[in-house]
Amino acid sequence: MSSSGLARPAAIRWSPLVTVLAFALPVMFVLAPLAIFLVYSFFSVDQGQIVYAPTLANYVRFFTDPVFLPVFWRTIVLCLSVAAISILLAYPAAYFLTTLRGRWRYALLMLLMVPLLMSYVIKIYAIRSILGLNGFLNKALVGLGILSEPSTLFVFNMNAILLTLTLLLIPFAILPIFLALERIPQVLLRASDDLGASSLQTFLRITLPLSLPGVASAASFVFVLAIGDFLTPQMVGGISGFTFGRILYSQFGTAYNWPFGAALSVALAVVVIVAILLGERFGRNRGASL
Amino acid sequence: MIAPPRLSTILLAATTVLVAVLLYSPLFVPIVSSFFPVARGEVDWSSPTVETYVALAGNDEILSALRTTLVVGFCTVVLSVVGGTLLALYYHGRRAGRSALQFIIFLPFLMPPIISGLALLIFFREIGLERSLLTVVIGHTAFVLAIVYRTVLTRLQSMSRTLVEASYDLGATKWQTFWRIILPNLSSAMVGGAILAFALSFDETMITILVTGTQTTLPVRLWAMMRLGFSPDINALVALILMFTVLLCALAARFLVPRQIATQRA
Repeated sequence: MSSSGLARPAAIRWSPLVTVLAFALPVMFVLAPLAIFLVYSFFSVDQGQIVYAPTLANYVRFFTDPVFLPVFWRTIVLCLSVAAISILLAYPAAYFLTTLRGRWRYALLMLLMVPLLMSYVIKIYAIRSILGLNGFLNKALVGLGILSEPSTLFVFNMNAILLTLTLLLIPFAILPIFLALERIPQVLLRASDDLGASSLQTFLRITLPLSLPGVASAASFVFVLAIGDFLTPQMVGGISGFTFGRILYSQFGTAYNWPFGAALSVALAVVVIVAILLGERFGRNRGASL
Repeated sequence: MIAPPRLSTILLAATTVLVAVLLYSPLFVPIVSSFFPVARGEVDWSSPTVETYVALAGNDEILSALRTTLVVGFCTVVLSVVGGTLLALYYHGRRAGRSALQFIIFLPFLMPPIISGLALLIFFREIGLERSLLTVVIGHTAFVLAIVYRTVLTRLQSMSRTLVEASYDLGATKWQTFWRIILPNLSSAMVGGAILAFALSFDETMITILVTGTQTTLPVRLWAMMRLGFSPDINALVALILMFTVLLCALAARFLVPRQIATQRA
């Protein structure tokens, strides 16, 4: 590949200035801030002043203090649950879309994606009012006779964060699963049918395995978005719904310990990178190529 | 797809309806409350009203936040479209350093916004840049640049090289080829990328909370108001914004979906 045709116009004698800018701007406004942030995690704070001397104390504290690791694991479990519930709901919906024909299929897909366009903050607020004591969920449950009186089970705790994040993130699970299902060659399904397999057998042995890369991508997307979110737990979590993101944020506010907050961010970034890499690794569609 | 048996079809359809209801319920709350009075979770269906929309016109606090959001969005779009297009042109067909720099450009998009925001916050403090709308625009641009870059690069890669070769054969200079062949072919991708960039900037909350100065954008304003509860006119604004964004994204889809006839003719 010595020259794709467009290497040439790209080579419209770029002046050295452009070359410098093309490298300098991303490095300056993206890499430098993240690098400084990383370096900050090795500093410490003394009486409200940042001490610019390298130390591992922040990381030692993260791993040894009885407060942080439990919250860290609890948050990871919470976000894995969000991913699992989202996929359980998204998979049947995505599958249903692929059974539709042509225009209907994409119209319905669009319909399920539109809620993503709505302001994130407003959605959190609306969901909180649905989950609240006077909210629609309690009214419905009481009306159906499942609860005898409105419950505070659904708001200002971990359940609330779980439900809210799931509602917000389902579309991110639908899309990759739909794309994986859509790519499964029809001939495989017909062959399976011809060979006498039942629909259930065809689903379990052809469709499901071939759609797993989509499920992996969906899980990775939802998990990463859930664990990086601070707004939802802050708004619906109340006092008991304490997540890692909130602890992290508090280091920059009330706790005022930027270096320790930076160390917590590094821990969060590691989890996110691992999740993205796993999603990449298992999200590749290998089996479906004929 | 082979038609599954009926019971499973019904179950699948039911789940899809359930998902749609779950996704749309948070949208209906503010839209319904923008037209009907709501008290203690009960909607008063008997008295529809547009008072909330009238009240909105007099809510200066919200309107000025909306203006700030539009200004930030505009600057972000200009910077990210110019920057993203230049970077795409520059890196296209170039090998040395490309994947590393591409990775850097994508970092703010992949990292949780709380990390990007905090990193920028510390960075601005270290270089002594006062928090203001400028820092917000820088933050938003870093965040959306990857989208514009990706969109334009995809279009560049799908462009037939014969177009450029023909242009050179016919004696055009490099700049003529750029202005008359490459740029017109990229324009719809640039517009599509610009719309996506604007939509992302319009709703960006976390980075903005961290790097903003005294002036705030609409999502941050709403975030601050949420603790106390919204006044009804916010619902009117939300309904309007929803309509606006749906329109915007329909436009983006229009520009990003390749128009086969046009490319064939070109």
